[in-house]
Amino acid sequence: MRRYSFILTRPLQFVPVVFGVSLVTFVLVRMIPGDPARVLLGARATPTAIANIRAQYGLDEPIWLQYLYFLRNLAHGEMGMSIVYKIDVLRLIGTRIEPTFALVLCSVLLSILIAVPLAALAARNQGRPIDHAIRFVSTFGIGFPPFWLGLMLMMLLAVKFPLLPVSGYGDTLGEKLAHLALPSLTIALSLSTVLLRSLRAAMVDWLKSDVATAARARGMPESIVFWRHVLPNSIVPTINLLAVNIGWLIGGTVVIESIFALPGMGQLLVRAIFSRDYMVVQGVAMVFACATVLVNFLADIATVAADPRVKL
Amino acid sequence: MSAALLSVRDLSVAVNGAEGPRTLLDHVSLDLSPGEILGLVGESGSGKSLLCRTLLQLLPSRALSVTGGTAMMGGRDLLALDEAQMQQVRGAEIGMIFQNPSSHLDPVMRVGEQIAEGLRFHRRLDRAAAKAEAIALMGQVGFTDPPRQFGAYPHEFSGGMRQRAMIAVALACDPKILIADEPTTALDVTIQAQILRLLMELRESRGLSIILITHDLGVVAQTCDRVAVMRQGQVVEVGEKRALLAHPRHSYTRALIASHPSMPVDDEADEVDDVTDPADAADPARVVVLPSRPLVEIDDLDVRFPVAGGLFGRRRSFSAVAGVSLQIRPGETVGIVGESGSGKSTLARAMLGLTPVSDGHVAFDGLSLRGQPGAALARIRQQAAMVFQDPFNSLNPRLTIGQTLAEVLRVQGKVAPAAIPARVEELLRLVELDPALAGRRPRQLSGGQCQRAGIARALAVDPRLIVADECVAALDVTIQAQIVALFQRLVATMDLTLVFIAHDLAIVRHLCTRVVVMHHGRIVEEGLCAEVFERPREAYTAALIAAIPDIDPDRRLIAPPPALAV
Repeated sequence: MRRYSFILTRPLQFVPVVFGVSLVTFVLVRMIPGDPARVLLGARATPTAIANIRAQYGLDEPIWLQYLYFLRNLAHGEMGMSIVYKIDVLRLIGTRIEPTFALVLCSVLLSILIAVPLAALAARNQGRPIDHAIRFVSTFGIGFPPFWLGLMLMMLLAVKFPLLPVSGYGDTLGEKLAHLALPSLTIALSLSTVLLRSLRAAMVDWLKSDVATAARARGMPESIVFWRHVLPNSIVPTINLLAVNIGWLIGGTVVIESIFALPGMGQLLVRAIFSRDYMVVQGVAMVFACATVLVNFLADIATVAADPRVKL
Repeated sequence: MSAALLSVRDLSVAVNGAEGPRTLLDHVSLDLSPGEILGLVGESGSGKSLLCRTLLQLLPSRALSVTGGTAMMGGRDLLALDEAQMQQVRGAEIGMIFQNPSSHLDPVMRVGEQIAEGLRFHRRLDRAAAKAEAIALMGQVGFTDPPRQFGAYPHEFSGGMRQRAMIAVALACDPKILIADEPTTALDVTIQAQILRLLMELRESRGLSIILITHDLGVVAQTCDRVAVMRQGQVVEVGEKRALLAHPRHSYTRALIASHPSMPVDDEADEVDDVTDPADAADPARVVVLPSRPLVEIDDLDVRFPVAGGLFGRRRSFSAVAGVSLQIRPGETVGIVGESGSGKSTLARAMLGLTPVSDGHVAFDGLSLRGQPGAALARIRQQAAMVFQDPFNSLNPRLTIGQTLAEVLRVQGKVAPAAIPARVEELLRLVELDPALAGRRPRQLSGGQCQRAGIARALAVDPRLIVADECVAALDVTIQAQIVALFQRLVATMDLTLVFIAHDLAIVRHLCTRVVVMHHGRIVEEGLCAEVFERPREAYTAALIAAIPDIDPDRRLIAPPPALAV
């Protein structure tokens, strides 16, 4: 179990990463032109009122002191007050994290469910019509941008044939899943094509590999050769590709959540940017960054589990 | 001969290429008797592997098809069986092992599971019974601790143990025939001897028939009963081993036997040892007139590589070379031999400043790599060159041979730009390559041609020292002999110092005046080739020499005890 010892030591490396992310987002957010106090109070606010607000939120302190306050608050589990929502940013994010997390999880699971069988079907019929058909269709998946695909799916499956709700989120588990179906499908149609191509290429290679030949030479039927030897070996390079794409996907939820009116972090981020709610922008950016780091950590664990040769 | 177990008649295989069908196997006929070991020899591309794959209906491409012939086994024609019937033959009646166990074992599946897989499928054993059977089998093929090793992965084993695992996989369903496709080519001589011994023991204990594909007539002489020689898809000669080796009828068989680098032994050493080798005869003269100052001076060299320890882990290191001292004088040909992992490549790389030195000194032409690293490296890059093991991968695939050579000449600046094309042509002639090949890329050349190009690239530096690292290991025997002869001519005609690294002792014996034997990063023995090979002082050297399969069937192969071979 020595190979898994990095699970204990690696999180220590996250401390400087999170620290760096917080510093960068903190400084950059404050470099955006515009004054939150002015946005909050409107154009005709008196200078005194603005000064009061600035003092109230600590915006009149030097930036390094603001950052130290920020770190002190972070240690107490607070990220500063949202100017618009008037509650702590971390608590605000806490109420919005579930739809985003559920959306990413459903999208990834759906992508895998689409990609693995199709990749297997294409690879095992390499060069035949079914292979060409799958590759042709997957080219469309890469070509169509998600925002367009999302609108088309919405029109088709929610308006024309009202099978699924158009937008929003629900209260019960069933409602939530029904509302997540369309946005997840939108993301999965794009994401699965990337996975499909990588998986198919790896499977084609492994089907021709010495490992497969050796398995056939000891009388294994093609199904065992494929599912027990080709598939486990083909998954290894795709794990990291998936991790990179999930990182990209977390940022991509901004668009999807806006289209489908999902009350998640992406939507929160868009509104916060418009209302110059810098504390929220910074908080969401930090959570996104940490989530990406976490996903890559999980991918490392998965890689070690899938390939006994890998040492981290 | 008793009734044949397997009888192949007029087997032909063709490939459907763009220019119409081309015959790869041409009316091959062979018989295999029960309990017999049949050697199948020939160069790469001669069709010996293809023949065996065809028997199992495992043709490597859809473009290949059987165009005629039969392969009778137990009253059935193997070539006429459908896929379902064939699956019952593969593994259960004919097992197969391969040249490279590392690439044929599934890297993400436990070794024991791979052995058990066939048992569960063919003999319908349940998980526990298959595991027990697999563990028993692992014991039979020489695993030291089968219950523990059952759960290990292929990469945790050495090459020799992987081949034992592959043999266990092939034997799992108790086949009558074992096809061994170059089973020892990727292994060290001592390990090769052990694996060959294991195969012979299995033949005795199980009555197994074996088809042994090899390019090494020494292996044939030591293990086989009968030999079939293949060339260009045809069986050119079949016969009993002794008769065939003593009185080869076909000219190709004679060429194969002539190019086998056999080792002379003690009692014959005082006689004229090798008539085919004029350069050897000139050796004593070269040894005597050596100038005094060494070209390469290595003093108490240590090279260590970190192996573990991350941010917080304890740093550990692996000593690839430990306490090696060696002097190489101008004009010498020095062979460095040893098994894989003995540190010979690392030593060569350290000599050329290609790997950081952990301790000790390396000096080239009086300049120390530690004292004046800049000046020493500059001198090494101008006066030394390396020839690599893999001729394809050490040449840039996007450049033609001519471009590769011209690049070296341009960078070195020893030849005027206008004279470069002429020099390229001269270099190609020097390594006996047709100058017309200058426009080809590496993939358009054969292995032997590629290695000649690699040597030409080394010569382009106009070097005083050439370090050749296993540069013939990947080549066919007849090509090997040609490359070795090329080196002999180059050394004889040019003012060249050669460091020749090889695991093949016979070749070093042929080519070099001095030999250095390495084991576990240390020099265990060094001296003049003739003396070391005839009267080895160290047990390790003696074991290495004894493990070389000799072409004379009566000179028995001695497999060293596993403890020595590591």
